[in-house]
Formats: sequence, structure tokens, C-alpha cells
Amino acid sequence: MATTGAVKVKIPTMFRKLTGNESEVDLAPGTIGQLIDQLDERFPGFKGQIMNEAGELHRFVNVYVNDEDARYLEQLETKTNEGDQVALLPSVAGG
Amino acid sequence: MTGLRFPRELADEMVAHVLEGRPNEACGLIAAQDGDVVHVYRMTNVSASPVRYALDPKDQLGVYRDLDDRGWELGGVFHSHTRTEAYPSPTDVREAREDVPYVIVSLAAEPATIRAFRIVKESWSADDGEIEEIPVEVLG
Repeated sequence: MATTGAVKVKIPTMFRKLTGNESEVDLAPGTIGQLIDQLDERFPGFKGQIMNEAGELHRFVNVYVNDEDARYLEQLETKTNEGDQVALLPSVAGG
Repeated sequence: MTGLRFPRELADEMVAHVLEGRPNEACGLIAAQDGDVVHVYRMTNVSASPVRYALDPKDQLGVYRDLDDRGWELGGVFHSHTRTEAYPSPTDVREAREDVPYVIVSLAAEPATIRAFRIVKESWSADDGEIEEIPVEVLG
């Protein structure tokens, strides 16, 4: 459902059961850290799943703001604006 | 969990991609609608290794956006085992972070074997998980 003024955040498949199978949710613009806080309010426990105890994202989580890797922006302090597309992507790898 | 159904030409395309990747492992993504495979995305194995695979996250993001644009869902992740059976390795279990079928194509014997598994974890960051096989059908 589109909300005016929102940031669209793509949710990893592992959490789609929390979101009623929605692959994207609309959140109020803020830093990546604030978006994660909003997700944690809406889906309790979310933060504990994507961050370690030091409050850092797990190494297998990639965050993109539009086409930019947040690791090369300001990481959790990266700001987002209305209309931005944020993706939380788990790494896909194996052996 | 329902199975994955591949039209013959898409199963052939997936096998062709992993054959072309030898001696390294090859990988890709699968688009599905209600368990029916509708597209196979050939991806680059950025690990370029015979025993490891990894997607470039930016390539992965491009596919996920394409899935949204076309109204498809992520039906699975596939990769090859060039010399071992089509069963998740300890690395596959440790690295599994998507809640979708992991399809493994074994090239250890001819013809190639295709099997699919879901790796169920207690938490997203868990290294271990339960392996559940998912039926794979090739139609036509």
C-alpha cells in the first residue's frame, strides 16, 4: 500500500511471515538506523535478528539506498528521503 | 512447503549455465509463481571458485527489482556442486539466509541431478539449520 511521503523498504524473505507476506513496507523517512527502529516497533524482535549485540548489522546483511551500498555512505547514519527505495538484502552464498 | 516445478526448457537453461561455469561452481536465481518456475536468472559467481559461490549484492538487487516489476516472486537460489552430490554442504547451511528453496545441481555424474532444499534456522544469524528436501519436478 503506497503512503505519501514514505520510504519503501524491501524486507528479506526470512521476515515475510511477520509482514503478512508483503515484500515491501512503507516507513517514515529517517536514517537507516531509524528505519530499523521503526521496523522493530512494527515487528518486535526484528532488530535482534539483523544486528549483533554491539548494534552492528550482521556481516551478511547488505543495505542499499536506491542503488548505493550504505556501507560506502554513512552506514546506519545514512539519511533517506521521501521516495527512496531501501533494500535489506541477505548475502546469497554457499559452497 | 510445496515443490518447485520447472518447465523443461528452464531446467535445461539452469543446467546449461552451471555446465558453462565449470570447473567453478555457478549460481543463479529463480523466479516463480505459485511454485511454477517462470524464469531462470544466470548470475556471476563472484567467488569464482570450484568450492564456493556468492552473488554480487548489486546484481542480486537488480534481480529482486526485476521480480517486483514483473510481479514474480523469488522462487529459489540455485548453484552447482561440480564433484559432489546435490545435497547442502555445511557451507550451504551456514550461509543460507533466504527463506526460499536452495536448488543444487550436481554435475558429479551424467545426467545432472537437480534437488531442492529449504534450510530452516532458529534465528537469521544461526550457523546451523535443519535441512528439508523439497520436491522438484521437471515438466515436459
